[in-house]
Amino acid sequence: MTEASIGLLAMLILAFARVPLAIAMGLVGFAGLWWMRGLNPALASVTSTVYEAGFEYTLSVVPLFILMGNFVTRAGMSRELYRAAYTLVGHFRGGLAMATVMACAGFGSVCGSSIATAATMTKVAYPSMKGHGYSGQLAAGAIAAGGTLGILIPPSTILVIYGLVTETSIGKLFAAGMLPGLLAVLMMCLTISFITWRDPSSGPAAERSSWAERFDAMKDVWAVAVLFVIVMGGIYGGVFTTTEGAGIGAFGAFVIALLRKSLNVSVTLDILIESARTTGMLFMILVGALVFANFVNFTTLPSDLKSLVSTHNISPVAVMIAICAIYVILGAAMEELSMVLLTLPVFFPLVVSLGFDPVWFGIIIVLVVMIGLISPPVGMNMFVVRNMLPELSTATIFKGVMPFVYTLVVVLALLVAFPQIALFLPQALKL
Amino acid sequence: MRFAQLLQRTLGFFAAAVLFLMMIVTAVDVVGRYFFNKPLAGGFEITEIGLALLIYCALPLVSARREHIVIDTFDVFMSQGVKTFLNRLADVVCFIALSGVGYILFKRAVRVAEYGDTTNVLLLPLAPVVYTMSGMIVIAGLMHLVLIFIPHAEQAAFDSKEITQ
Repeated sequence: MTEASIGLLAMLILAFARVPLAIAMGLVGFAGLWWMRGLNPALASVTSTVYEAGFEYTLSVVPLFILMGNFVTRAGMSRELYRAAYTLVGHFRGGLAMATVMACAGFGSVCGSSIATAATMTKVAYPSMKGHGYSGQLAAGAIAAGGTLGILIPPSTILVIYGLVTETSIGKLFAAGMLPGLLAVLMMCLTISFITWRDPSSGPAAERSSWAERFDAMKDVWAVAVLFVIVMGGIYGGVFTTTEGAGIGAFGAFVIALLRKSLNVSVTLDILIESARTTGMLFMILVGALVFANFVNFTTLPSDLKSLVSTHNISPVAVMIAICAIYVILGAAMEELSMVLLTLPVFFPLVVSLGFDPVWFGIIIVLVVMIGLISPPVGMNMFVVRNMLPELSTATIFKGVMPFVYTLVVVLALLVAFPQIALFLPQALKL
Repeated sequence: MRFAQLLQRTLGFFAAAVLFLMMIVTAVDVVGRYFFNKPLAGGFEITEIGLALLIYCALPLVSARREHIVIDTFDVFMSQGVKTFLNRLADVVCFIALSGVGYILFKRAVRVAEYGDTTNVLLLPLAPVVYTMSGMIVIAGLMHLVLIFIPHAEQAAFDSKEITQ
């Protein structure tokens, strides 16, 4: 316990002194291993982690999904998705905000990046909402919150990384994210409904679309739907593995972007390089976290936590609520992916030993990350929206996202109370 | 400086080519297997080696553009002078850490070369790949060494920050 605590403390000091997290985690992990097991085992451990992360076939799912997301973003189907959702629900009070959330869910599912989704949707949905007299607060809140849906609805990069680090089936995780994702969409729409019921002027109804217009709008979104169905259907149907699904998805997105004439050689090159850099950045964090995890696993911290829980007879649900609370607080102050990778070696063994399903816990982790992404003061999605809409004050955006923070906390509570929401689909699909 | 830019362009181009190849290989492999019952022999191995090259060739780019994730929660409480000082210190730490990792990976590469390790199907030699990996990590370390003297680079890199979540 002492070694791990000193390690965590050293890690935090380095990290707050602006050492990149990947390096901070790696250094402390290495120093800890050196101290506990000797220099040569520590060196060997670092070498094999660096080496094996490079040659691990299943990890190639990461760059390929990132590439797919970047091609999809470039192809710019966000406008069509928004229009389709608009024709469906725009005539309700708050309908455009609901349409934003739905379009975010559709776009985010194939894009997989909450930041790209929020950024894209700001461009598409904000002018439309503004034009219909929506309050900046509601518009910004819906965009920032909707942007987070992409990491819950499969395929999702963060679920892939969780699956890789904890050796949990990525296929199961993807299936498990589906219903909670739809639940989150529904709850966000209810929240919008509630907000506009309290204050009708914040989201006036737009004109009703005819069914002809609706079908017309639907025609434009088939490409996203087909891509989603091929990738997810292929993975669930056993046609290909997750890694191959990612490759097919990237290729499909490439073809779609080509057909929509959004690519030329230099744009394609930019997208590839950008995806490569994002991959490099993610892998550094991953390698650093793995080295750190090796160290934590040699300390007594995981078993101490387990015995702490068992000697004090703390109920598993209480432990889970405590873990969620820790994550929500940490997530408000820390970059989310690093937070997850840093804490998993400590929490995951405890959670599994208490009898919780690792697949379900993965979905819980994604939900707390989503909450972190829109929680003031440092939620990433809020910053994206604020940077793109300088006319809105930070306070307006803070006020705008808060109802959605509460909404996601309710979704989180529902998932803790009813794990079946996540686990039903993987079981039904017999994954 | 011009050399650093040339290096970045070359690495970027190479990483892009590798990623594109990985995508094509996977697609051809799956389509070939499913529709023509003829998988691409060794597609698996190309992807594996591609991944190793991709990550580690991208690393110097990530370092050069200061795109590593840094906790900036407390930035508001720091003066610019403190921030610049900490950034330089962090770059020194990164330089030392990455050089060290590059060195131990280089020793691993020498061993891989001695054993003459290859992949199973295509019999591609692994040593050049591991040498490349170790070299790239050292180059990334050197990027941090250069960055110690260019604090302004920070601003430009912030403008193009993108994180996939």
